[in-house]
Amino acid sequence: MITREVKKSKMNDNKVVEIKNLIKSYGAKDFQTTVLKGIDLTIYKNDFIAIMGPSGSGKTTLLNILSTIDKPTQGMVTLDGHDVTHISNRELAKLRKDKIGFVFQDYNLLDTMTLQDNIALPLALDGAPAKKILDRTRELAAAFGLEAQLRKYPYQLSGGQKQRGAVCRALITEPEIIFADEPTGALDSRAGKDLLHCLCRVNESGQATILMVTHDPHCASYAKDVYLLSDGMMKCRISRGSDRKEFYNRIIDLQTSIGGDFA
Amino acid sequence: MRVLRLAFMNFRNSFRSYLSLVLSLAFTILILFNFQNLIYSGPFAVLGERNKQYIDMLVETVSVVLGCFMFFFLWYATNVFLTRRKREIGIYIFMGMSNRKIGRLYVIEISFVGVTALAAGIGSGALLGGLFQMIMSAVSDIAVDVRFGVSWKAVNVTGVSFLAMYFFFALKGYWNITHSSVLNMISAARQNEYVRMPMAALSAKAALGAAVLSAGYYLANKGGRQSMLNNALLAVVLVIAGVYLLFGGLIPLAFQTLSANKHFLYRGQRCLWVNQMVFRMRKNYRTYAMVCIVGICSVTALATGFAMKERYHNIVRFDNQYTFQLLTNQSGLGEKASALIGGAGDIACQTSLTALSLDQDHLVLKYSEVKRVAQERGERFDLSEPADDETVYLAYQILMSLIVHEKPYPVTIGGKAYLATRTVRDAYIGYMQRDMGCFYVVSDREYERLKEQGTMLYIHNYKLADDMDFAAARAAVDTLISNTDENFTARVAVDPFDNDKDWIKALHSLCIFMFLVFVVACGCIMFMKLYNDSFEEKERYLVLRKLGIPSGTIGASIAQELLSAYMLPFAVMAVSAYFSVHALGRMMHTSLFSIYVVSTLAVFAVFVLCYMLSVAVYRKNVL
Repeated sequence: MITREVKKSKMNDNKVVEIKNLIKSYGAKDFQTTVLKGIDLTIYKNDFIAIMGPSGSGKTTLLNILSTIDKPTQGMVTLDGHDVTHISNRELAKLRKDKIGFVFQDYNLLDTMTLQDNIALPLALDGAPAKKILDRTRELAAAFGLEAQLRKYPYQLSGGQKQRGAVCRALITEPEIIFADEPTGALDSRAGKDLLHCLCRVNESGQATILMVTHDPHCASYAKDVYLLSDGMMKCRISRGSDRKEFYNRIIDLQTSIGGDFA
Repeated sequence: MRVLRLAFMNFRNSFRSYLSLVLSLAFTILILFNFQNLIYSGPFAVLGERNKQYIDMLVETVSVVLGCFMFFFLWYATNVFLTRRKREIGIYIFMGMSNRKIGRLYVIEISFVGVTALAAGIGSGALLGGLFQMIMSAVSDIAVDVRFGVSWKAVNVTGVSFLAMYFFFALKGYWNITHSSVLNMISAARQNEYVRMPMAALSAKAALGAAVLSAGYYLANKGGRQSMLNNALLAVVLVIAGVYLLFGGLIPLAFQTLSANKHFLYRGQRCLWVNQMVFRMRKNYRTYAMVCIVGICSVTALATGFAMKERYHNIVRFDNQYTFQLLTNQSGLGEKASALIGGAGDIACQTSLTALSLDQDHLVLKYSEVKRVAQERGERFDLSEPADDETVYLAYQILMSLIVHEKPYPVTIGGKAYLATRTVRDAYIGYMQRDMGCFYVVSDREYERLKEQGTMLYIHNYKLADDMDFAAARAAVDTLISNTDENFTARVAVDPFDNDKDWIKALHSLCIFMFLVFVVACGCIMFMKLYNDSFEEKERYLVLRKLGIPSGTIGASIAQELLSAYMLPFAVMAVSAYFSVHALGRMMHTSLFSIYVVSTLAVFAVFVLCYMLSVAVYRKNVL
């Protein structure tokens, strides 16, 4: 009993994101469309969660609210203990800068700077010492196999290299959580697999908590937990266990049972 | 018909992005129109026929400069427009449009821009014409009868010259489009942006630029009687080439070196704006160089204007040091003249001294007498007494001279060789000093020695207290002269109401006008460039915002980047303009340093204004 209490308390301490009864509606009063209809979700440190769902299920809306780009109509979202629905824009910007890392489908690397500068940018803007930035950039580049590409510009890199660079950039500030929006969406299968291996590695080494939105069951199978979002509600959650292939099959089965357009 | 409609829709929908081009062209037209209006409304007529020849020459010169400026400005503006539009209208290729049809679309679109700019330029010119004339009148001291009317001739000349040049470039764009490949059109806006330039090539370019620029500065300030004009022309060419090489070599090299130094780069927003400068430099260096050169022209024009005004006042003061001067061989004539002039009006000051005539070309003055006369008149006197074999030549205030070195030179007076150690341009014996140009100052001892050889002459100088008494006093002096032997008496009467030097004032106002033209051009070019850049950068700043970078940080980075964009041309301009104004000062035989400082500060103020405007607009466009 005591052990269970301690475990629960430790879990609470490790909460990174907590969502309670999240509702999001769009449109005027009489013509409202409710995209999210009361979502509850808790993300703990070191989680690797994939959110899947058919088109129009509310995945992107959920991600936008979690990443503080959008505001909910109702409900509570706490990020690292801060209720993001009730803080000023300035505090929100700071929270976004300090606590969140972003990985986008289309990489969003700045073509004006080298990969090294792209990775270093968030820390440089944060005012960290140059030496620390350089060490951290090299360390991350080594972890993602990008040492040889550091001096190159984005246009000189492959899609996979760009996306791995974008993950390095997201990780450099050691954020509480990384939000990845279809990170493999623009990559070929080989580059996508490489990226997912990297994400798994940083997650397993305790360096990152990841929330990934994807429509791809293969991509989702790399996560520890998969949540299925449908019609604005969390339909179910499945966990991986030890066998990724078996997990992949379960995701496919679930997808089939729910139906809808997952493309 | 369909192309016309499509072009009109494009123009209407993209008007916001065309705005900078329309405004810049409208500014150019406004300037040209106001200049034409100024000519045809005849404000310089008040200066009289005597100045007409000079004024016509000046107006012609300014018209040529203005025409050249407009030509190059339109070239630049239409080029920027073409590069932007090429990528967008290149997409029409996929809709099955031929290059010719796209070319036609471009010409129609650019015609809408041109006609809008022409209407805006002439409209605002007509509204601001009176104000413009008032400003010109105020800065040039010319009493202009300010008219708020519009000269149709000015409208015609402005319209025809603008449209002729504009359509020339529109047709050039048409030719360019019809001869472009699809790939070229689609990737036009991104060309040359990605690649860093090799350091070795940059270093070579930088070294060459520094050498060429230094050679230009050296030649601009090198003396020599015959070669001064050639040197000046060569210096202009070298400075222009040097500035281009500097912006194409040294400045990218400096920024690339800074961006390679991560300890420097990873501090605050530097990572953003230094990289942005490196990225943009290859595309923008010509613009910076052009702004820098136009800036040098603006400082030089303003400095010339100020210098002309100062010189005008100096010349007038020099010539009007005395109202009447008599040169006679009769002693005692001074008292008579004094009585006669005094009878016509009060005398503010009167001085007398002697001169020795030793030959036909030289009149010798005694050092102590010149000193006394200068002190009596309250003039600055810093001459030291020459040695017995030396002399000092009393010259006059000049407007400009290509002979910049006034070295000691030998002169033979009354059969004896002297060394003319100095040429003095201060007024000691007023208009007579300028008119006769034959006065040499020798030491007192030498003067006493020469007395036996030459004929003694007496110089009497009078300054009237009230200029209104001039006519009466001149009549009185003329009576006196008619009673003396003309062979031995000369009379100088300086009419205080004479305006034969007022063309210098007009030159001053035209210089101010040219300054306005150049400085507005600098502002327009930079503003237009940065305005266009802001549209291209929109996506990049959106990425930064997506990454959670606060607007304040992005805003600070934009401010830094634009500050560099404005201050780089300004810094190079300030250094180069120092040499050009210095060279001008040497030709005017005066120091123009304070004028240089004031002119540079005036350009700086305009740059600061444009910078603030650019930052505000840029932020508005990207954030």
